[in-house]
Amino acid sequence: MSKYFKIWWLMSKNAFISMLANRLGASVFMFGKLLRFGFFLVFIIFLLKGTNTLAGYNLNQTLFFFLTFNLIDVVTQFLYREVYRFRPLVVSGSFDLVLTKPVNALFRSLMGGADILDFMTIPPLILAIYFLGRSLNPTTVQVLLYLFLLINGLVIATAFHIAVLSLGIITLEIDHTIMIYRDLTNLGRFPIDIYREPLKGLLTYLIPVGIMITLPAKALMGLVSPGGIVVSFVLGVVSLFLALRYWNFALTKYSSASS
Amino acid sequence: MQIFLVFFLWSSVFSDPTRVVFGYNKEKILTYVFGILILKAIVLSARTVDVAGEISRGDLTNFLLKPVSYFKYWFSRDISSKALNLGFAAIETLILFIILKPPFFIQTDPSALLAFATSLVIAVVLFFALLFLVNIVAFWMPENGWAAQFLFVVIITEFLSGGVFPLDIFPAAFQKVLYFLPFPYLLFFPLQVYLGKIAGTQAWGGIMISAFWALVLLLCLNLVWNKGIRRYAAEGR
Repeated sequence: MSKYFKIWWLMSKNAFISMLANRLGASVFMFGKLLRFGFFLVFIIFLLKGTNTLAGYNLNQTLFFFLTFNLIDVVTQFLYREVYRFRPLVVSGSFDLVLTKPVNALFRSLMGGADILDFMTIPPLILAIYFLGRSLNPTTVQVLLYLFLLINGLVIATAFHIAVLSLGIITLEIDHTIMIYRDLTNLGRFPIDIYREPLKGLLTYLIPVGIMITLPAKALMGLVSPGGIVVSFVLGVVSLFLALRYWNFALTKYSSASS
Repeated sequence: MQIFLVFFLWSSVFSDPTRVVFGYNKEKILTYVFGILILKAIVLSARTVDVAGEISRGDLTNFLLKPVSYFKYWFSRDISSKALNLGFAAIETLILFIILKPPFFIQTDPSALLAFATSLVIAVVLFFALLFLVNIVAFWMPENGWAAQFLFVVIITEFLSGGVFPLDIFPAAFQKVLYFLPFPYLLFFPLQVYLGKIAGTQAWGGIMISAFWALVLLLCLNLVWNKGIRRYAAEGR
């Protein structure tokens, strides 16, 4: 475990140094991301000022859903940025070099270059979640449930990314698949209660955006049933298991073409 | 997928069909949502995004040697891209319309339709000038053309043109400031004219401001291009 942490640290450091080579571009990109976050925040505040509630949630609750979405989104992008750079490896056959090294190929493909730009936004986001969460007066159990369901959400996000990598090996298609994933998770920017059936059901169980994002926030507000919690943990474990199986299957289809 | 988010978000806000928020009823806000889908295809789809790459790779040289106007070349490519995207957007809208069955506001007033069409034509020219200006930053910063595009096109234009949410949710003072900028005239203003929320002299006044911005940006483009082309060293060629 410590060996892998050391490797991850080295690869992240390299990614950071390579980012520093273009400081201006990185700064503009970071500013743009913060601006987008700010625009959405302002939108929610003014929207809720005009309507008072959204699908039965008040301003603080709606903001809490939005911040939880951002936390899961930013953490997964910070950890799994390498997925966005995976396609050239497979197309050029350079993935051979990953497979022959004494490091787990999935670990290298998934976490081979953390995104420091996303990392910088995590601490302020956690602070905002802490203060806003406190204003919702949760009990200790609700806070613990929130944290566990948040981890469960990250597990589901990991499963999605592994599935995207696997599909990339089989079809050479990564960019569009990851964009579809981003589009789907963006639907969790607001509580999934705003959607009508059958979309709401699809987003809860088939593409578990609701379980990833909405459910943790609902747990902090004391709005989930014990059955819902069990189902979400089971779904987290099953999705990770299936994604790993799919990865192992995809490796058998890698043809090493162009190498 | 984003259309679902926006559609259901506003459907949720207007769950009571008689409700009026920010001057919109359910019919008008959902027309706004679908209108944005179409207008984005007409105004914001453009191939001019590739100009920065051509400059930084040195490919611009190929065009400078040809007896064609570089601006007109890209404008014609933009128009063809818009035609293609409009076709896809029309099919997408039709499918979504069949699935979601939203109430839709049809504008029948010929003067409003004329003002809408005029504002739309100006919006196309305005975006072309704006996008081109952002792209030729690559003359000075060849490595950062993408960053300038991300900031100005993906973030600022998208939000301040009303592409994500209608700008009238903002306080009146902020809206007044926004109307002095070119961004609202890309999507928000034409749609407000279509919906009849801005009409008569107010509409034509807005059209004059957007035409003024288009003219100013085209002049700026010419000026910046002339300065940039002197710096151009065709690196990589």
